[in-house]
This record gives sequence, structure tokens and C-alpha cells, in this order.
Amino acid sequence: MRNPASLDLVRSIKSFIVSFSFNAPNPENNSKRIQDFFLSMEAAIRGHPLWEASSDAEIDNALEGLEKYVMTKLHSRTFASSAEDVKMDAEISDKIYLLQNFLRPQHLDIPSVLQNETAWLLAEKELKKINAFKVPREKLLCIINCCRVINNLLLNASISEDRVLGGADDFLPILIYANPPQLHSNLKFIQLCRMQSKLVSEAAYFLTNLVSAKSFIVDLNAKSLSIEESEFEESMQAAKLVDRVPQETLITFDKRSAFRNITDPGSSIPMHKKANSNINGELNYPYMEAEAGELTVGDVERLLSLYKDVVTKYTSLCSTVRHLSVSKTVSPVPQGNDDDLLRGSNGTHKDTSCKGD
Amino acid sequence: MGCSSSVPDRSSGRSTGLNNGENSEGPDAKNLRVKLVLLGDSGVGKSCIVLRFVRGQFDPTSKVTVGASFLSQTIALQDSTTVKFEIWDTAGQERYAALAPLYYRGAGVAVIVYDITSPESFAKAQYWVKELQKHGSPGIVMALVGNKADLQEKREVQVQDGTDYAEKNGMFFIETSAKTADNINQLFEEIAKRLPRPSSS
Repeated sequence: MRNPASLDLVRSIKSFIVSFSFNAPNPENNSKRIQDFFLSMEAAIRGHPLWEASSDAEIDNALEGLEKYVMTKLHSRTFASSAEDVKMDAEISDKIYLLQNFLRPQHLDIPSVLQNETAWLLAEKELKKINAFKVPREKLLCIINCCRVINNLLLNASISEDRVLGGADDFLPILIYANPPQLHSNLKFIQLCRMQSKLVSEAAYFLTNLVSAKSFIVDLNAKSLSIEESEFEESMQAAKLVDRVPQETLITFDKRSAFRNITDPGSSIPMHKKANSNINGELNYPYMEAEAGELTVGDVERLLSLYKDVVTKYTSLCSTVRHLSVSKTVSPVPQGNDDDLLRGSNGTHKDTSCKGD
Repeated sequence: MGCSSSVPDRSSGRSTGLNNGENSEGPDAKNLRVKLVLLGDSGVGKSCIVLRFVRGQFDPTSKVTVGASFLSQTIALQDSTTVKFEIWDTAGQERYAALAPLYYRGAGVAVIVYDITSPESFAKAQYWVKELQKHGSPGIVMALVGNKADLQEKREVQVQDGTDYAEKNGMFFIETSAKTADNINQLFEEIAKRLPRPSSS
């Protein structure tokens, strides 16, 4: 494309990309425009003097390069570009997250000889790479690689276990078990933006399988797993609780150990806000500017509680600062000096931050 | 093993047993490519039929070159055309039945398989036929296949039942055995012959 003779092509590519930014994102419409553009460019390249002596493989290469360039430029406008898509992605991953708590291979008719964690992880890993790529072709390759891993698992099992090869009866359930990120948007993006002439044969089959895996998960209910409605509901509810508990524990733990008393002014203390105060403390500690003569006996209780509050905050602040500075200093340090630096920083911070404790 | 030797001892009477020895893909010949979807209950042997078809033409030990659920195979017909079948297997379990339309969309051929020892699978096959008549591509070529024909002593679906049902629905019918490779090649050859040809030729 650097060749001056290709100037006409370069110009049409650029103007196509620019024209895209004028329109509001509309996935179906965009897809049509992109596909039409690929087709017209293919015709242009095939008829172009520069490619006159080229083989099909070379032209193919040029077209792949074109798709890669155009889709990289247009990625943000075409991938998960609508709020609906983002919502759909979130809903699906939430559902998958909950299902993982109780879904077992037998719910999907996966026979035990095929329950091979290593192979499944490998397949899942291939699929998870999908978000590292921006171009339809590369995303599609992640899907194909994942499917090949599953295929190999099936073939190996049929050889080593002397088991009749199950074909799609075994293949689809295992694929459903893998958990790809942004499933909906990735599939939609590939379906709409991959050069249609390349979306055939095995690639189309594997893509269809993932589309059907998605569809199965979206519509999944008690019947899909051959369990009772009540059991399904209970399991989903239980999964939601399991999901919530660790997060809450984590946050509480965090707050307690470090920030609770710093960030939370304490609900028992009313805030007498001063309009012109610029020190945070003044908002939380209304007696900062009070004179001794103004105080009454009734203030003692509040003063005492504020005092306790301040001490607690100060102590936890000290320990946090010490903690933070230690971990910060240690991690980037090259080998050898760890001990010295660790001791040094520990010492310094104790001295500066906790003086007069 | 003898995967390539298919002996039609119970021929449907319609297959003309082509010799597939010369399986050359002439680059200038009329080359058809067709998407074939396999439907049928889990366990009726859908994938076995295809594996037998694909492997039977080659070295039966070359397992690594074939996929487990997607396979393609080219056959040559006597009129010098070649047909490349792209075979899409589907999961046959009931829980996945609703996904089938994603697979048969755009298919030129549907092969609906049942097990001659299982009346339930024959009922399921009829369900698929009805569904395809309603929602399949117009002009789709359909074949009804009674598999496991080697299990004569356990037969529960009579040949006549299959023949009658297929005839009523304008389908091609054949009984096969993926185990003995019986009628496997005939099935695909017969389908190839029934494919609509491009009008230009």
C-alpha cells in the first residue's frame, strides 16, 4: 500500500473510515456498509494493476490486511458500541457467574470420561484471549482454537477410552462449559464485521456453536438442566448469596483494618458544617474553633466521644501509613538491598508518622 | 476393519453404487459445495455415520486429521462433477433441540437419523422432518436414515415404516450401519445426485 500506484485505494480506505465517524453507531447498518466496502475493495484489488500478477493467496493476504486495518480503526465504533450490547454482556456474565456455583457437567450431559479439567482449562484459556484482539479474524481464531482443543479432547478420549466418538452430542456441552468474556459483543462483532467470504465452512460451524452456547445460556432454566424449578431457583438464590458474602466481608475487613474510621466520620456525630471551612477536620469536629468558656457540661459527653474517635483514627492512620510505605518500598527494589531498605523505611516512617504517639 | 468396503446387502433399490476410487478434485470441473446438517436423537449414531463416510475413503487410522463434529468430504460423481459436503453435526439431546435452527439455517441438505432399535428416535426424526418443512431453507434436500441396521434382532422400527414415512414426505430413505459401513457411501452419493445443479451448466 506504500506504492504510489495504490494511491487510489488508500484514498478510498481513508475516506471510508472518515465517513464512519459522521454517523451514529448502528450495528446492523454498519455491518452492511463494512461488508459492502470489503466487497468493493476486493473487486478493486483484483482489477488493480498492482495485483495483476498476484496469486489468490497474495490477494487474500491483502484483503486480510485491509480488514485488519479498517477494523482496528473502527473498533471503538463497532465493538460493544451500544448500551444494549454492554448490558447484554453484563447480564450473560452475571448469569454464568451464578451458574458456576452449582452447574455440574452432568447437568449438560457431559460424560465422565470427558471431564478433563486440564483440557477444559486450555480451551477456556484460548477463548479468553478473545478480548486481547481487536480484529474479527483474530477473535474468530480464538474461537477456532478453543474448539480445536475440545475436538482433540474428544478424539483422544475416543482413542484411549475406546469410546464411540460422540460428535456434537459431546462437543457443544463442553463448549457451553467454557466461560468467554463479553460473549455477546464478541460474537456480534464477528458476525457483523468479519469478511463474509471468510465466514464459511469450519469457521462458520465453530462460530455457530458458540452462538448456540450463548443462546443456551441466555435461555437457560430448570428444564435446560433437567432439574426441578424449585431446585433451580434455590440454587440461583444460594449462588447470589455466595456471590455477595465474600465481597461484603472483604469491604468490611478493609474498612476495619485501615480506613473505616478515616473515611467514615461516624454516624453518631452530627456535622455542624462551617460554610467557609476548608479543613476536613472542621466539618467533623465542631469544637475546633470553640473557646473553653463557651463549653457547657452537656458538651463533655460529645467531646469525650470525639476524642476517642480522633485517637482511634490516628492510630489506624499510623499503622496504615507504615503498612503502605513498607509494601511500596519493597516491591520495586532490585535484589540484594531488600533488607537494608526495608529496615530503613520501617524505621523512618515510625519516626516521622508516629512521633508523639 | 475394512472401512472402505461397503457392501449394500439391503439396498434401498435406488442407490447406484458409484466407485469413489478416483476422488480427484478437478479444479475446472463443476464443483459443488453444500452444507449438510445432521439431526437426530442423541445416541443414534449421527457422528458415526459421518466418520465412517469420511474415514472410509481414506486410511481408517488417520484419526488426527478429522474433526469430531465438523467434517468435510468431497466425492466425485460419474458425470465428472464433484460435491464437497460440509457436514455440520448437531447435539441430539433434548435440552439442545431449540438450538437446531442456528445450525440448519442455510443448509442445502438435512440428514435426519434414527436408530432402528428405538421407536422414540423414529418419533424424534419425524419431529425434525416437520420442523424442517416449516423452517428449513426452501428446496432443502432431506434424507431419512435408519441407522444400526446391523442390529436386526433388536429391530423395533420396520423398514416399511421408514419407507412409507419418507415417501409421504418426499424424502430419500435408506437404512445404514455405521458399524459395518453398510450403505454409508450410497447415502451420500444419492444425496449428491439429488442436489439441484446450477442452471448455467
